Amino acid sequence: MSRFYVSGMLTFLAVAAFAQAPDSTNGDVNELRSEIRKLKEEVQSLRADTLGVSSQEDELDAVEERLDKRLQELENKIDAVSRSTAPIALNPKMTAFINFAARHDDKTVYDATGNTVISNKPFLRTVEMELGSAVDPYAEAVTIISLEDEAGQGYSIDAEEAYALIKRLPIIESAPLGLKLKLGRYRAPLGVDNVTHLHDLPWTTRPLVVSKFFGTEHGEFFESGFNPVGLDAQIFLPSPVPGATFEANADVVRGGDIALSQGQLTHQPAYVGRLTLSEDWNNEHLLVLGASAYTETGSQNTHLFGGDLTYKWAPTERRESHSFVAGAEAYVADRFISDSLRAFVKENPVGWFGYLQYQCSYWTYLGVRYDWVEEPTNDAQVTKAISAYVSYYTTEFLRFRLGFEHKSSDALVASLNNTNSIIFEANVVFGSHPVEPYWVNR
Amino acid sequence: MNTRLFLMITLALCIGVVQGSEAQTKKLNVVTTLNYLKYVTEAVGGDHVSVIALANPRQDPHYVTPTPRMNEVTTNADLFIENGLSLDLWAKNVVDASGNPNIGPGSPGHLIATINVPVKELPTEVSRAWGDIHPQGNPHIWLDPFNIKIVAENIGARLKELDPANGDYYDKHLDAFKHRLDEKMFGSELLDLLGKKGGDILTRKAKDGDLVSWLASRHLDSKLGGWMKMALPLQGKKIISYHKTYVYFADRFGLSIAGELEEKPGIPPPPQHRDDVVALVKREGIKVILNDNFYATDAADYVASKTGAKVIVTYLDVWANEDVSTYENLITYLLEKVLQAQS
Repeated sequence: MSRFYVSGMLTFLAVAAFAQAPDSTNGDVNELRSEIRKLKEEVQSLRADTLGVSSQEDELDAVEERLDKRLQELENKIDAVSRSTAPIALNPKMTAFINFAARHDDKTVYDATGNTVISNKPFLRTVEMELGSAVDPYAEAVTIISLEDEAGQGYSIDAEEAYALIKRLPIIESAPLGLKLKLGRYRAPLGVDNVTHLHDLPWTTRPLVVSKFFGTEHGEFFESGFNPVGLDAQIFLPSPVPGATFEANADVVRGGDIALSQGQLTHQPAYVGRLTLSEDWNNEHLLVLGASAYTETGSQNTHLFGGDLTYKWAPTERRESHSFVAGAEAYVADRFISDSLRAFVKENPVGWFGYLQYQCSYWTYLGVRYDWVEEPTNDAQVTKAISAYVSYYTTEFLRFRLGFEHKSSDALVASLNNTNSIIFEANVVFGSHPVEPYWVNR
Repeated sequence: MNTRLFLMITLALCIGVVQGSEAQTKKLNVVTTLNYLKYVTEAVGGDHVSVIALANPRQDPHYVTPTPRMNEVTTNADLFIENGLSLDLWAKNVVDASGNPNIGPGSPGHLIATINVPVKELPTEVSRAWGDIHPQGNPHIWLDPFNIKIVAENIGARLKELDPANGDYYDKHLDAFKHRLDEKMFGSELLDLLGKKGGDILTRKAKDGDLVSWLASRHLDSKLGGWMKMALPLQGKKIISYHKTYVYFADRFGLSIAGELEEKPGIPPPPQHRDDVVALVKREGIKVILNDNFYATDAADYVASKTGAKVIVTYLDVWANEDVSTYENLITYLLEKVLQAQS
């Protein structure tokens, strides 16, 4: 093998590598990688011919080094964004949720309007499409459009949530205390359950107090809660407990949207506040204590105060796939509003629920919940429910759940009271990987 | 007048010195998702960084629950470093919830540590039907020390960008860390013999898979030390792993992964697949099953009970236990575990 031939080959290899790499795109990255590797193999074969000729070996080393550099540059050309968790393109991140539920009841069950029978029927309860993306350097936006089952009477489209999240402005490059502003429609920070979407609940129904106090059109079996239009400010505060995290939310929202107000007081603003004290130990034990308040003051008043507690244990080494969650929320309301007859009515309903959940295996969760609530329109009437359920996951994208519920209410006539229901639920998630609900342990 | 002027100048100089020294001593607040990233950042950043890792090193890095504490400690971060490649997906939630506008994706305060790392198993098509796959390739890059050198370079470059006044300091620490890794990889005697570019040359030869023959051709094979020497008895040995965690580690140290206990990534092994693995282990005479510490061992135990293979429960992140108190110890620990099981 002549020295001239070796030098010629070296020149060709170097030129070939330099000529091809710059225009590479992600689509042909693998092809270019393999081409450079083939060139390196050719260098290796040439090396066999130059064994013992140290000057030519040095030249081969030099070319090999250049090829390595080109290979590294090629890797560099793969956009950093493509390796991040951020979206590759400017399209929003998209996730779709489908929640199906069917119920079997031993008595006739009506929805919250009292006009529609929902017992012994299947329902496509919600279909949600979540879109999220950065808007510009100053804000992000989230839109959750839902198709909701109107208790079997058709479907309605609703902006479940649609808000901009602002972390800074051109005039304030970095806000103090981690201030975040949420502007639009969102699930209000009242307790823990209210901010959780139906498809993310650990149960087959909403807790009664959330459904009756905060908002529902068709009752706790369907999507409920308080998601007003307004402005939310969230900050971190110095913690009164060393090692704990202390957060505060303050909101101004449109009045009258909460169920307690019965939609009568939209001419005046309402205010929401929440304080959260939480501590986690090695991401294994998590304790959250919260206090929430809603107030709407004017010629007619609605006030709500609540406290909540959540404890979660999930071992860091999850070989056994066991975990435990316990929680409770309690609310007391003070309503002083006019009823349909224009007479002023004062009610002080109270409601609470508590639950326990244990993860038996990687796939299976068992849980119970107890509900106790006074009717917002008549605090002398009490509704109680006890429910148990088993959830089975194939993956985080597909879940089945079977629940049993016994409900009794002073507000129901005897023939409709003491209902026993079996509820089957299937939940499907597809698209971009969503955040798993707080009660899931993987 | 002159005395007053002198005092004012002296005062101004004192203030300037104090402010200057504050600038010199102010540490960059860095938050990392995983603990190996904290280790590398501290190695490169030295006294000029204060680093917090969010995940517990014993946790499955795929599934970490963001907590308010994580959000709060990230609020004042100057730099947020994540692994990327869809491994620590939960990082985005922490960044969002922190309210810290300086660490948003695309900003200088946000770094994907695996930029420029040659990624393996990059899928050409992506579907959830194949399990919990990573669209940007296998993310467990840190078990190859050569990749850690790239990660360290990325971190060093970003620290310099955010804190240019201490650029030389970061360069020195980066070089020292890379040299330390080279020593652990090849042994200090061989490195000393090859001179200044020895680490680069040996790294290139090792990447090309002809390190041993190259050393032999130069009569240097007896000088090889470090992890590469430790790994010589493992060349071509087949192992089973629970998850596709050890792809980079195996490639670097000459092991061959014959299969995984998971039939599809992120989904616990179904019974039929366990039996398939049993047949594979028997057919290939495989002795080792690597089971990450956060995965159930029942499938591995089942296969071991049918075949006599050894199950090794392994830690994957720095500080997961006392045996892996540094990144270097982590690699040594993994090699020793596999060697013991093979013997």
